[in-house]
Amino acid sequence: MNIFISGGNKNGKSGYAQDAAVKLAAGGKLYYVATMIPYDDEDRVRIDRHIENRAGMGFETIEAGRDIQKVFDTADESGTFLVDSTTALLLNEMFPNSYSEKADSEAAKRSIAGLLEIADRAANAVFVSDYIYSDAARYDEFTEEYRSSLASIDRALAERCDTVIEVCAGNLIVHKGILP
Amino acid sequence: MDLIIGGAYQGKLEYARKRYGFDDNEIYTCTEAEGISFDRKCIYKSEEFAMWCVRNVIDAVDFLEEHRAEWKDCVFICEDIFCGVVPMGADMRAWREMTGRMCSYLSSNAEHVMRVFCGLEQVLK
Repeated sequence: MNIFISGGNKNGKSGYAQDAAVKLAAGGKLYYVATMIPYDDEDRVRIDRHIENRAGMGFETIEAGRDIQKVFDTADESGTFLVDSTTALLLNEMFPNSYSEKADSEAAKRSIAGLLEIADRAANAVFVSDYIYSDAARYDEFTEEYRSSLASIDRALAERCDTVIEVCAGNLIVHKGILP
Repeated sequence: MDLIIGGAYQGKLEYARKRYGFDDNEIYTCTEAEGISFDRKCIYKSEEFAMWCVRNVIDAVDFLEEHRAEWKDCVFICEDIFCGVVPMGADMRAWREMTGRMCSYLSSNAEHVMRVFCGLEQVLK
């Protein structure tokens, strides 16, 4: 079973995604696909908080900041994969070397291909994204490219996944399918 | 009249094309410079019409009320721009306010209201 989860920030998406992944794994192999590549201390603190939150839940962590389908080099396809988050993956794919360089225009396409490969091959997968599309602003070209790219990933995953959930203040809005 | 609402890049226009079978010449795209026109079935980017109202000191709800007969069979598409922090710029705040009041007015007059989330339909009314 594949689940796609989105919603606003700090609403409990990651916490719910972890619980859902544990449930889907039902005692089998459970992988946390860590997409964030830390750039500074703030990132490291966030990562430590996430590691602490999932301690004791049975996750094996695989670092995959880009080329996400490479998780299968080491992980077992019969397992359950939690990918948190597509937002970080896209950022890494857009800027493979440094944020000061021009964004890689193939980043969204590559991210979608990798994520759909996980959806197809893994026994179970849970994908977490961020809903960043409902504010009143005229953004610069770079931000709009990032937003439209992330939205294209979201829509591809929402179409492919069995279940699509929006998390709002810890509550679940089921847009498609059934809860695990 | 129907209203389709949703965040940026969620697939609102694609949804409208599928649901109503609109082709390109049935879709009018509002702009900040030109405002709105009611001579096509689908009125896309209604939030840009709200910005035109802000720029020209026109109330969007009053304007729509005056032209009621012209849009009663139209489908409005509007971007949900209501969930971010209060914008720093006064014109962006006025735009958000105008768009919000317009959406509430359209929603109360609509036969159907749909939200599009990641390409998926959520029926609100």
